[in-house]
Amino acid sequence: MDFVLTSVGTNLLQGLLLLILAPLFGGIINKVKARMQKRQGASVFQEYFDLWKWWRKPSILTPYTGKVFVLAPIIYFVTAFMAAMMVPGLMKTGFSYGDAFIFVYIMALGRFFLTLSSMDAATAFGGMGGSREIYISVLVEPAVMLAILINSLRYGSTTLANMVIDYNSFYFTVPAVLTAFAFFLVIVAENGRLPVDNPDTNLELTMIEECMTLEYSGRLLTFIHLGTMLKLLVFLVLFGSLYLPIDIPVLVKALMGAVLIGVVETLNNKMRLFKVRIFLSAAVLLLAVAVIAQ
Amino acid sequence: MDLIFLSPLLFLLGTATILWPKSLEMAAHYVGMMFAAVGSAVLLYKSGLYLISAGVLESADGWLVTGRWGSYSLNADLWSAPFLVITGLAGFIISLYGMDYAKGYRGNGLRALTGQWNLFLLSMVMVLLAGDAFTFILAWEVMALVSFLLVNHESSKKETVSAAYQYMIMTHLGTAAILVAFYILGSGVGSFSFTAFCNNKLPADVKHIVFCFAFAGFALKSGLMPLHVWLPNAHPAAPSHVSALMSGVMLKVAVYGFGRFVFQFIGIDTLWQGGLVMTVGLISAFLGVLYANMEKDMKRILAYSSVENMGIIFTGFGCGMILKHLGLEALSLVAFTAVLVHAFTHSLMKCLLFMSAGCVMHATGSKNIEIMGGLAKKMPWTAFFTLIGSMSLASLPFTGGLVGEWLTLQSLYTLAVNGGDEIRLLVVFGLILMGLTGALALGCFVRLFGVVFLGRCRSKTIDKAHEQPFFMVLALGIEAALIIAVGIFPSPLVAAMEGIFTGGNAVVPMATDFALLWSGTGNFYNQLSAYCPIIFAVIGLALFGLCYLSIMGNTLVRSEVTWNCGTYPTARQQYSATGFSKPLRRAFDFILKPRREKVYLEKEHDYFGRIMRFNLFVPDRFTDRLYHPIEHFMVRISSTLLMIQQGSVRLYIAYTMIAMVAVLLWGVM
Repeated sequence: MDFVLTSVGTNLLQGLLLLILAPLFGGIINKVKARMQKRQGASVFQEYFDLWKWWRKPSILTPYTGKVFVLAPIIYFVTAFMAAMMVPGLMKTGFSYGDAFIFVYIMALGRFFLTLSSMDAATAFGGMGGSREIYISVLVEPAVMLAILINSLRYGSTTLANMVIDYNSFYFTVPAVLTAFAFFLVIVAENGRLPVDNPDTNLELTMIEECMTLEYSGRLLTFIHLGTMLKLLVFLVLFGSLYLPIDIPVLVKALMGAVLIGVVETLNNKMRLFKVRIFLSAAVLLLAVAVIAQ
Repeated sequence: MDLIFLSPLLFLLGTATILWPKSLEMAAHYVGMMFAAVGSAVLLYKSGLYLISAGVLESADGWLVTGRWGSYSLNADLWSAPFLVITGLAGFIISLYGMDYAKGYRGNGLRALTGQWNLFLLSMVMVLLAGDAFTFILAWEVMALVSFLLVNHESSKKETVSAAYQYMIMTHLGTAAILVAFYILGSGVGSFSFTAFCNNKLPADVKHIVFCFAFAGFALKSGLMPLHVWLPNAHPAAPSHVSALMSGVMLKVAVYGFGRFVFQFIGIDTLWQGGLVMTVGLISAFLGVLYANMEKDMKRILAYSSVENMGIIFTGFGCGMILKHLGLEALSLVAFTAVLVHAFTHSLMKCLLFMSAGCVMHATGSKNIEIMGGLAKKMPWTAFFTLIGSMSLASLPFTGGLVGEWLTLQSLYTLAVNGGDEIRLLVVFGLILMGLTGALALGCFVRLFGVVFLGRCRSKTIDKAHEQPFFMVLALGIEAALIIAVGIFPSPLVAAMEGIFTGGNAVVPMATDFALLWSGTGNFYNQLSAYCPIIFAVIGLALFGLCYLSIMGNTLVRSEVTWNCGTYPTARQQYSATGFSKPLRRAFDFILKPRREKVYLEKEHDYFGRIMRFNLFVPDRFTDRLYHPIEHFMVRISSTLLMIQQGSVRLYIAYTMIAMVAVLLWGVM
């Protein structure tokens, strides 16, 4: 029991640490984009100010919505936080509950409720965002499964803590590089970044995540934005600790990932929605090759 | 006489209510349903105890039931037990539900419905208890015929009749395949009792032929692709409580039969057996849920989702067969346990969803989800329980659905670790399809729940919808509570299912137990992972409560109509169910081949004054590409035969004459 309590405690701390860092990473990505576009850009701490602003504002609810609409942002945030507790490689704990498949399904719980909330608002925008979110998630899922398979094949367990890159063995191999590349594509799609989705606008052309949450305001919106930023950081940390075969601290690798996302977002246009199919097939194909070559 | 025989007896008494006079119709209904409920409860109690004690509780020889009457015999061992539990549990809950639900059929064959309901339960129990091929086939055939009658209950509707006859034809094809399998076994062994079939010394080739026939027969009954075509038609045609029982229990009875053949009669001696089962399972899982995403009829969605879940069950089964063939008993145990756990939880959640579809139909008078919306405000309890069922079918954490799915994924993964290159390739293919299946199932149930229960009413006809009678909602509540209980405390269920293979009188004894898996203290054989949902549930609930408090304290909440560019939004502006699945239809159009049809009812000019009708069909491609050609071929053969079958007596006399002359000539030669 003591063992459980200490490990849960450590993981709560890890979750809190990532939660505090998450807006900073969002700010860094924005800063990188601004500099690449020859702009001064907002401060890297701007996301904190935005969150504080939304936190103090009233929430406006439409009369058509029900309980799901109010509860969904909280569930979304909580699942992102639990995912943050599960990621390995940051703190050396013996917490072995973090199974990779469970990690995927905890994320799915958040997505389930966020998409439901988009339908609860009874608008065309929300439904469109929800529908496209499902479309993207369906295409991402096979790649995620294969990404889990490849590391668990190498290290013999689907527990996240055991899937961390082992620098004692030969780690910089062709399959490892292919996987790292494919997983970066997964991060881009899963977190709604360019070229799959544009996180900055809710115009008709993009219409995924930002459209699902269009009817939210105030504290509920704070939860969603915090959840989204946390989810991105969780994926970056996961990228660093499981897939990027370079022997440096995990947070530095996560930072590299964030900068990379900023660069990719500047260099790429939004892709047509139905081209995403090809984009993610590429990830699946790379991973399949990596598994065979493993 | 053992207490468990009380259960078939009660079902028989329940069947007899069909003979009560018409004036006592309602009384007959209540009494009949009561018999069904009590009979199921007795069954659940006895088989549950037997299952938990892993077969050592009952008589010394380990049978739950054993007996012989002439050429008929009953022999139920541990392999029957989980399925008897599923039958008992579902029978009990749905009978409660049926008490209120079936009242709508008053004056419309209600006595027949209740009587057949009891007979249906009886036949399924008999299939599970059967100890020889005769008894099995007899009960199997009664099950098929009674379920045909139940599907055909609303026989005034044309589509019901065609669905029922399609079901009848298909199910008899399956029965024929199983008969052939039994015949080959029986003629080889020289006896038709199951104990004689066990450990038979038939040559491997014969066993493989038996395997193919048995797999075809049971796959048809469990609705695996491409033999599933009857299922999405029969389930919506039947009354809702019947669909719940068919989907929740009858499909599992097919898994029972298949397991009996594989474990005891045939054995697993080659790789392709498992590979075949797994491939068929994977394809069914993926295509089933893909079609579920395209449907607009609530019960057809659920029917296709049943195809998906049976696919997952058979994927686990195939996985276990391959692992067992490779000699990895302990790991195949994980896969077979996954099969039973998923069969159990799927029975819970599919019964829940079909019953909730019945509630929605009662309240709105329709199965078409396009006209619904906002029902959560009118029927809050039904909505809440349906949400739990939907989460479970999307296999989300804290629900029963994840337990079986996770075990299946784990066994797939161990297969990749331990198998050779060809197996690893199969697993890559398998994980891609399982990933697609999981995400599509989530989309399917977001769509179902979101369109039916959330947002605003899409049509005036459902404005009067209201919460359903007590027993119906109670039945939903029991199922939902069980789903959550299994999801948060899976260990007892998994231990019981595992006991079938490791317990004192195990049918298929296997080496080890994997209790460690759920305690979360370590990795099983350093190969599997651990999942301890209670810890996640506690942490999640605590965090959720904390966040919720911060909103509760928030007084800054205003109510305002959505901004709609200066006009009030209408309910028709919501996303429709068809629209919601549009991206998927487009992404998988190479599989689905949707057909669009634009009809101009009135057209004054190219750009205005047009009244159009747009039709979208997503036909089941197996019906189009496989069954229609067979049907056309049969019709063509028949019409060719028509040339000699004119129906005229003189012609037949002429045939007789010609035949006689031919025989005489042949005799002379």
